[in-house]
Amino acid sequence: MRHRSPFLWLLDKEWRELLVSRAWWVLLFAMGPLVGVSFISAVRTYAEVSGLNGTSAGVGEALSPLTGVWAPTFSACELAAVFLLPFVAIRLVAGDRQSGALKLELQQGMSPFARITAKTLVLLAGWLAAMLPPLSAILLWKSYGGSVYPPELLTLTFGHVLNAGLTIGLAAAMSSFTEHPSTAAILTLGVTVGTWIVNFFGAIQGGWWERAAGYTPAAMVAEFQHGLLRLDTVLVALVLTLAGLGLAAIWMRLGIAVNRRACESIGVCILAAGGIFACTFLTPGGSLLRTSWDTSESRSNSFPEADEAALRQIHAPLRIEAHLAPEDPRRLDLEHHALSKLRRIMPKLEVQYVSGTSIGLFEQTRAGYGEIWYDLAGRRTMSRVTTAEGVLESIYSLAGVAPPPENDEAVFRGHPLAEPPTGAGAIFYALWPGLVVASGILVSQRFK
Amino acid sequence: METMLFEVNGFSKRFGSIAALTDVSFHVRAGEVLGLIGPNGAGKSTLFECLAGVLPSDGGALRANGRPVETRERSSLLFYVPDAIAPWPAQSVRWALDFTIGFLRGPAPLGKEVPLREELIDQLDLRQLLGQPIGTLSKGQRKRVLLAIGLLTPQPALLIDEPFEGLDLRQARDIASTLRAHAARGRTLFLSIHQISDAARFCDRFVLLSSGRVCGEGTVSELAALAAAHHGSPPHQDLEEVFLALT
Repeated sequence: MRHRSPFLWLLDKEWRELLVSRAWWVLLFAMGPLVGVSFISAVRTYAEVSGLNGTSAGVGEALSPLTGVWAPTFSACELAAVFLLPFVAIRLVAGDRQSGALKLELQQGMSPFARITAKTLVLLAGWLAAMLPPLSAILLWKSYGGSVYPPELLTLTFGHVLNAGLTIGLAAAMSSFTEHPSTAAILTLGVTVGTWIVNFFGAIQGGWWERAAGYTPAAMVAEFQHGLLRLDTVLVALVLTLAGLGLAAIWMRLGIAVNRRACESIGVCILAAGGIFACTFLTPGGSLLRTSWDTSESRSNSFPEADEAALRQIHAPLRIEAHLAPEDPRRLDLEHHALSKLRRIMPKLEVQYVSGTSIGLFEQTRAGYGEIWYDLAGRRTMSRVTTAEGVLESIYSLAGVAPPPENDEAVFRGHPLAEPPTGAGAIFYALWPGLVVASGILVSQRFK
Repeated sequence: METMLFEVNGFSKRFGSIAALTDVSFHVRAGEVLGLIGPNGAGKSTLFECLAGVLPSDGGALRANGRPVETRERSSLLFYVPDAIAPWPAQSVRWALDFTIGFLRGPAPLGKEVPLREELIDQLDLRQLLGQPIGTLSKGQRKRVLLAIGLLTPQPALLIDEPFEGLDLRQARDIASTLRAHAARGRTLFLSIHQISDAARFCDRFVLLSSGRVCGEGTVSELAALAAAHHGSPPHQDLEEVFLALT
């Protein structure tokens, strides 16, 4: 018997517990068909718009593999993180309590934070194993002759690992709070549904709800799917994950009085809220926390480079007042095509939406509805255009900056690929599930 | 005079309106086999869990060498083996014993643990079970594995909840002699036993617990004298009679 540190023994134990967890094997098994369905349909669509089977060639020039293939393919991870991963995490965290092992292990004296770290590391390793099917889809895509742009794929993969971290933090906290794993599962799914409700309210109400909705897992993943890596989003996700794991560690200490654990939990929640507030509303160091990187090859989150260079020359604070209701499609256009890009390049931008209703349908006749007012260092102008070009034109005219000439060479032309998803069905519907079943049988025999 | 290992002062624990432990005080001597005697529901397991720090007590202190031992420090003094648990149910008995040596005993370098493991495997008749997952073991087999886990830990005091529960007569005798052998090496054993006849055969001293209160502490003769003083009757040397008289 070799001498190992207690932490390594704990890692070994958690890994073995993961290996015997049916929930994990179900997750692994399901990832094959889930990825298969999305990858195959995405590649087919991509091929069709690229000219396969007599469709109009050239439409695919507008498509990038990130939005056309990888976002839908990796969406299987989002589904698995919501509906399957929580059960794996709950099994690993609550299992010790259910079996009575926790009573023995707690007497070792190891910090509960070290214990929860071991569980998290093993769960993340288990999640990375579950991400093998979408990652293997990249090789398959390459074999078809598809283009791969590593930075956007790394961002997307990182986003899904971060999302898994959030799920693990949440499920771990719920497992430690509750006596029974089924209660933990209900609470975990309840919180997830709660974030969907926040998204729903954000879309309808706007304002604070909209801001809060920007930090829900679904919104976070959507940003990564567009190749956008925002520092504040990453930090908020890390704060929430650490808060969940911290709460799990606190409630794992069965020998500490409930009142004290409750006080410590409140402390963790206050710290987490402070961290989120700092990441969301404070912008120290010249908007350091608002730093973001557009890793997409198509620069879908950015203006053309020439426009960005021109905008950087404008140092005066810019205020935009848009009289558009939250559910007005023009507001969505304005936000997604112009303002979200503008925020990344102009840190002194302040945007205010004004509306009396959420749908805006009955406000159309009100004087001033639909107007977008721009205020730059006291100079004001109004426009009703919600396209990126229209917004830039208004800003340039206010700032007295000449619009940069269009550069056709800098425009992303896409990577059309008119290839069917050959072999993908065999890999994701047969080979992967078969491998998982065979490995599961081998492992279960080893443990018998 | 035997040295005192630790002292329990005024432990109390409530579950809502139910008082599980009320002002429980006694002392544990180094190297003795101390029996915690009481009927079902007397608070024996609760007391052990509070002492081991896996359940918070509402009040009271555990003192060793004249100073209080905080909950987080108790892992250096005592180890508690709960009753009716099936830890790591999918893992083999062999792995559980190795895990006990590697993890539960702490970061100290390996000493005599590996020979001790082999000795315990023979003493507790575990050789046939080494490859079996713990979750598939019978109650008695699981009890023997739990005892081996407890005996492999390095703490000076071992608290075992119902060590003879689920064992047949022969196994109970074998385990009693194994525990005795470990006590003879200086390990302090504190055993919760609800079968008074078992306790009478095996323990040096007793703590009598009834409805969460200590009714008496001492050897059979000391308890008999206490019972006689309470009732004004001649001392009785039968522990069952003494227990009934004091509770």
